[in-house]
Amino acid sequence: MTMEQQDPPAVLIDQVSKWYGQVIGINDLSLAIDGGVTGVLGPNGAGKSTLFKLMMGRIRPSQGSVRLFGVDPWKNTSPYRRVGYVSESEKLYEWMTALDFVTTLARLHGMTREEATERSAHVLEFVGLADVMHKELGKFSKGMRQRVKIAHALVHNPDLLILDEPLHGCDPLARTSIMSVIRELGEQGKTILISSHILEEIERITEQIVILHNGRLLAIGNLHAIRGLLDKHPHRILINCEDPRSLANLFITEEPVFGVRFPGEGQLEIQTNDLSAAHAILPSIVVSSNQKITSIENPDDNLDSLLGYLIKEGS
Amino acid sequence: MDRKGKSLFETVWTRMDRKAGAVIELTIRQLMHRISTWVVLGVGALLMALLLIFYIDSVRESFEPIDNDGDSEDNDGDGYPMGQERKYGTPDWDSDLFPGASVFIPESDIDWNDADRSEFGNKSWEGSAFFEVSWVDDQYAGEWWDSHVDWKLNQEGIPELTDCSDWELEEILEAIWADACDLGDDDGDGMTTYYVEGKWRGEGIATVPDNYYLSWGFWTEEVYVEPEPPEMYINEDGIDCFDAFILRGPGWEDSRVGCPSEARISGSHGFDDDGDCLAANEGNGNDDNGNGVRCDVQWIASNGVVTRIEADDLVDEDPDEQEYIGELGHRTFVIAVGKMAFVILLGLFIPLFLSLGLVRDETENGTLHLLLSKPIHRAEFIIYRLTGYLAISGSYVIALSLIVGLISSILGPGDQLIRISDIPVWIGIGAATTLVLAAYGSMFNAMGLISPKYGVYLCIVFGIWEFMMGSFSILNPNWTVASVSISHWALQMIDAVVLLAWPDTIQWAEMDRAFEIDSGLSVFWQPPVHTLGTASAGIALLNSLVVLLLVSVAWIFIAKSVFSRREIM
Repeated sequence: MTMEQQDPPAVLIDQVSKWYGQVIGINDLSLAIDGGVTGVLGPNGAGKSTLFKLMMGRIRPSQGSVRLFGVDPWKNTSPYRRVGYVSESEKLYEWMTALDFVTTLARLHGMTREEATERSAHVLEFVGLADVMHKELGKFSKGMRQRVKIAHALVHNPDLLILDEPLHGCDPLARTSIMSVIRELGEQGKTILISSHILEEIERITEQIVILHNGRLLAIGNLHAIRGLLDKHPHRILINCEDPRSLANLFITEEPVFGVRFPGEGQLEIQTNDLSAAHAILPSIVVSSNQKITSIENPDDNLDSLLGYLIKEGS
Repeated sequence: MDRKGKSLFETVWTRMDRKAGAVIELTIRQLMHRISTWVVLGVGALLMALLLIFYIDSVRESFEPIDNDGDSEDNDGDGYPMGQERKYGTPDWDSDLFPGASVFIPESDIDWNDADRSEFGNKSWEGSAFFEVSWVDDQYAGEWWDSHVDWKLNQEGIPELTDCSDWELEEILEAIWADACDLGDDDGDGMTTYYVEGKWRGEGIATVPDNYYLSWGFWTEEVYVEPEPPEMYINEDGIDCFDAFILRGPGWEDSRVGCPSEARISGSHGFDDDGDCLAANEGNGNDDNGNGVRCDVQWIASNGVVTRIEADDLVDEDPDEQEYIGELGHRTFVIAVGKMAFVILLGLFIPLFLSLGLVRDETENGTLHLLLSKPIHRAEFIIYRLTGYLAISGSYVIALSLIVGLISSILGPGDQLIRISDIPVWIGIGAATTLVLAAYGSMFNAMGLISPKYGVYLCIVFGIWEFMMGSFSILNPNWTVASVSISHWALQMIDAVVLLAWPDTIQWAEMDRAFEIDSGLSVFWQPPVHTLGTASAGIALLNSLVVLLLVSVAWIFIAKSVFSRREIM
């Protein structure tokens, strides 16, 4: 009996840097991902797409090494047999039907025409496009196009799925549908990397995240743990109401609130150190104020403030 | 065999094959969905249609028969064309002499040294004599300068001539020529004696002075000979040479000059088809060119090129335009269309529109990500894309060449329904153009990759270079600089294919030049030069094929090197 060799991780990024002239795309990034759904978060220009392009062998690292299943994707296309990639590019062959499109790309995996057609029909059904698979892609909505792209990435049943902003520009219905597809794939045990610049999107799919900022790895781990840190950070709650000043009087005496501001007409901003406690007292105060409240927003509960916090913590 | 029990061939090759099939099919469908593809292919088809109309209109309709030697003319107006007069031995400058006209048959004569110097009879006389007349024929007329004597008969039928009865004999002999003078009835027998010198007819006793000469004879009855139509003497002696035996069979070996294939260029050629040279039987033995062969044409070649053609008189002087100029015009059309329209125009424009963006446009459109996320090597991708492009453009030019070829070979000169020998030439033109499409296609594709933004300008510059070198190659294939172009080698290929399919084209081109027909064949076609000294068209064909394939592979390699290093954003 021979010793079973341990399989290399699906993605291994080792001290990778990528710069374009003076501009840094990725800065000394090390990462190993194997199994589960991982959200890659970062604002526009953080290096998410650069990271994915490095993984897909589109660009060559300036320093360090990239390995997919232990193979350098810049030099060898063999890992792509196990990888499905949805690029950020919106362009498809508009004159093709969805089935045609997925079948053609499936044949590039060495499938026969029959195998490819069968598999393509199957994955199109899986992403919920069974009814429209014979329609031309030019007539597809944004959400349908994203799902077609996911279908082509899935057609060869890959072990690793790399999705670059798959929810970008989709309407809420399409988002929900795509998210459920991704969740289901994650449950099937595939390694999935999904990028987004919207925290809420990723939160609905996975808890395992990687946060990139200015090409650097800012945080890696469980989103809830990171969020917990965020809760201890001063937060703002923005309330749109009829009489902000009388409402402010009610809030100012409460424990978790340490300050109030009036940023605009009919607006009250409450400052708190404990977001959960503030939200707990909020309903009773609103009721006792006897005012009409038009909206309650948490402007700090987004990626930017999370990043801002993490950057501050890190410095 | 691998673990699944499949052979290596099945796993590696079939996978590659399937990928190739998918990319090729995708490329074809993509190109078919582009309007520019249809525009360029449509313009190509339109160009060919216009050329065919030009062919039908000007080349084919202009095969009017021409009387090159002028023997269908009737110069003396006697109703007989020169050719017929030549056959009957009558001149075409004397309306009295024509086929069937009465002919003088000489009987006898009194020579200067004959002892008996008198002759009696009713005859046609010619020479000098004292003629005691019983009757003269006033109607025996002819021109004075032809020495016919005018008897000047009066109303009673008595000649009224100069009286020379008192003259000295010497004076008479000296003064009279083509004339007669009256010596009177010197012997008193009632019959007048005249001194006559020239031609006359009459009855009497002719006495020839010493040292003078007289001949006599009779004229035959005039016979009516049907004048032949002048058309008979147009196209009656074609320029013939190399296929003498093929045309006439071995029985003609003795009577006609053959041109054995191994001596196609230099040597004795030609055959006096209408027989006017052989009939003429001139004093020089009908060997004007002095090569020891009667009625032939001597071709004099130097270094395989005919420099001079020396024909015996009346040989190869009136070729059939339908057969000769028609054949030359037809071949010129085929070669010119093959070289200019197919290789240079279609060969350049199709790749410019179809291959420049073959890989580049995928990058620019953002669809390359879809394809390159699959296990396909970038070099593989280039090759499959080019194959797809070639599948469309190559099958287009081959189909187009066969259609143009079929139509022109049906319309072309010759009695056969289709000129079968044209078909290999058109296949060659299609193949040469396809190779050019491959070479330019891989080159322009590489240009598009090297400089996505300015590649088109690079291609235009290369296109102008190729166009110029192609044009120069047509005019002078020996010019070395032109061989640094793709078009040169494709044109060489056509030259070689032409020679293989029509082995007698060298002769046709030489005849075109030597007989100054100006069909353009010797402008558009010259024997292939890249034969490695063998003068073999096959070697030239093979050479061109290898060069064009190597150029294509080299540009694919350049494109691959650029593309493999290219970061795709």
